[in-house]
Amino acid sequence: MSSKHRNIEKRKYQFTEKISTQIWHEHPCPENPYLPQSAYCYGYDLLELINKRSYTDVFYLIFRGELPTLEQSDLLEKLMVALINPGPRHPATRGAMIAGVGKTDPSLILPISLSIFSGTHVGAGCIEEAMIFMSENIDKNPGILAKNLLSNSKPPSEGDWHPAPGFGSRFNGIDMLTHEFAKRLSCMLGAGPALQWGEEFATSLKPHGIGWLVTGVAAATFCDLGFHPRVGPGLFQLLCAPGLLAHGIELANKPFTAMPFPSDKDYLIEDE
Amino acid sequence: MVKNNTEIWDQARGNIRSRKGGWRVGEGVFCHGYNMMDDFVGHVSYMQVVLLNATGRFPEKRLADWFEAIHICLSWPDSRIWCNQIGALGGSMRTTVVAATSAGIMAGDSRAYGPKTLLQGMNFIRQSIKEKRNGLTAEEIVTNECSKHNGKPKIMGFARPLVKGDERIPAMERTSQHLGFDIGEHLALAYEIENVMLSKFDEKMNINAYISAFLLDQGFSPNEVYQTFSVLLSSGITACYIDTFERPPESFLPLRCDDIVYQGPPHRPVPERD
Repeated sequence: MSSKHRNIEKRKYQFTEKISTQIWHEHPCPENPYLPQSAYCYGYDLLELINKRSYTDVFYLIFRGELPTLEQSDLLEKLMVALINPGPRHPATRGAMIAGVGKTDPSLILPISLSIFSGTHVGAGCIEEAMIFMSENIDKNPGILAKNLLSNSKPPSEGDWHPAPGFGSRFNGIDMLTHEFAKRLSCMLGAGPALQWGEEFATSLKPHGIGWLVTGVAAATFCDLGFHPRVGPGLFQLLCAPGLLAHGIELANKPFTAMPFPSDKDYLIEDE
Repeated sequence: MVKNNTEIWDQARGNIRSRKGGWRVGEGVFCHGYNMMDDFVGHVSYMQVVLLNATGRFPEKRLADWFEAIHICLSWPDSRIWCNQIGALGGSMRTTVVAATSAGIMAGDSRAYGPKTLLQGMNFIRQSIKEKRNGLTAEEIVTNECSKHNGKPKIMGFARPLVKGDERIPAMERTSQHLGFDIGEHLALAYEIENVMLSKFDEKMNINAYISAFLLDQGFSPNEVYQTFSVLLSSGITACYIDTFERPPESFLPLRCDDIVYQGPPHRPVPERD
C-alpha cells in the first residue's frame, strides 16, 4: 500500500512574489527602504487623518475602505460605548482577571481574554452567523419568522435557549440592558434595516421569554454599517476589548487572594 | 412580575463540580479516578494521560505509542508552514515562547489544515462506511462526494495540498504494523477510495484520511480526536520560534516598504467632518 506514497510530486502552485493590499500604502524614506516617511490608509494621508478625523471615523475607514458619514460614525461610536465592557461577571473578563491576579505577563492578558471571548455562546464566535442570519431574513416578516422558528425549535432541558443567532435568553431571562442598547441604536439616524428588523423580531420573541442578545445587537449594527460578516467577530472583540483589559489589569497588582479560590468542600469531584 | 427560573445557575454559584478530577490537599491529585502520583508517575506514558484527559478512557500503551508517533509526523520545524510561521514571527518580535507557540496553535485551528480538518475527514469516512454497508461501492461514494463540488476531487483526506503523495503514510503504516494493529473496516475502505481517486483523478490519500480511518477503527469519535490533538502542532512551532529568537529582531522575512504592492485608491485629500 505504501509504495505510491514514496513518490512525492510538487504541485504547480503559483504563489505570489509579493503581498498586496488595498488598505495601506507606505512610502519609504530615501535613506532607509525599511522605514516609512508617510503612510496612507485607502488613499488618505495618515497625518492628515490625525488632524481632521476621529478615531471612530478612521476605525470605520480601515474596515470599509471609505470614511463614514456623520450618521454612520455616530452610530458606530454609540455601539463602541455600549460594548466597551462585557462586565466583571463575563467569563472572558474573568479570564483576564485570573490572568492578572495570576501574574501573567500583562501583554498577554488581552489575547488570553479575547480567546475566551471567541466562543460561540454570546461571544465573537456567533457574530458572523448572526450577521448572515439577519442579511438572509431581512426581507421576511419578523413575526412570522419568529413563529416558525419557535415552532421548529424547543428549549434545551438545561441552560439558555438561542433559537436564532443573536437572539435568545440569558440566564433564563431577557437581557433588558441589551434591549435598551438596541432601542437607542435603532432610533439613530445611521441605523438601518437590520436594527429595525431586529427590534420587531425581538418583540415577537418577547412573550416566550427570549429577546435580543448583545451579539445580535452588535451584528445588526455591523450589518447596517455595511461591514462584511467575516469581519464581525473581530470587530466585536475589538469593541469589547477595553473592558476585558481594564478588569485584568485592575487585578494584576493584587495578591492571589484577591480572587476567590473555592475551598475543598466547594470543589466536588463527581463520577463521570 | 414572574421571576425567571435561575435554579441551575444558583446551584453552581460558589462551587465547582468536576467529572474529571482535582487536587485533594493532603490526600492526592486525582484524574478520572486514578491517583496521579501513585498510579501514573513512573508507570504510564505521558501520552496515555493525554488520551485519558481528552477522552475519559485510559488507553492501552501501544495506542498511546501510536499517538506519539503521529505527533512526530504532524509537526516539524519548517517555518514556511502557516502555524510555524506564526511562531517564527513571534521569535522575531521577541514574544515569549509560550505566547508564540500558543498563537501558532491557534493559527492551526483552521478549516484548511491542522487538527480541526480531522473532524471533516472522520465524518466523511464514517458516512462512507454507512453507505458501503448500504451497498454503495467505493467508486459510487467518490462520485457522490465529488458531485458536491462540480465533479472536482475535493474530499477531505485525499488530494494533499502543495504536493501529491504523503511520506507520513508509509511511516505510520510501518508503525501501526510494528505495534500490532490490523487494517480495520474503515482503513480498508479508505484504501479502496484511494484506489478510485488514483484511477479517476490521479490523486492519493493524505495523512488526514489515514488518521481518520485508523482512529475510527479504534473506536474514537471525531470530537475525541480533535480534543486529543489540541496541541498537536506545538513542537514545530516552538522550534521555528527559537530559530528566529536566536537571530536579530525582525530579520525573519523582512519587508521593505516597496515589497508590498498597494492596490487601493489613489492618494486623496481628507475631507473635513460634515
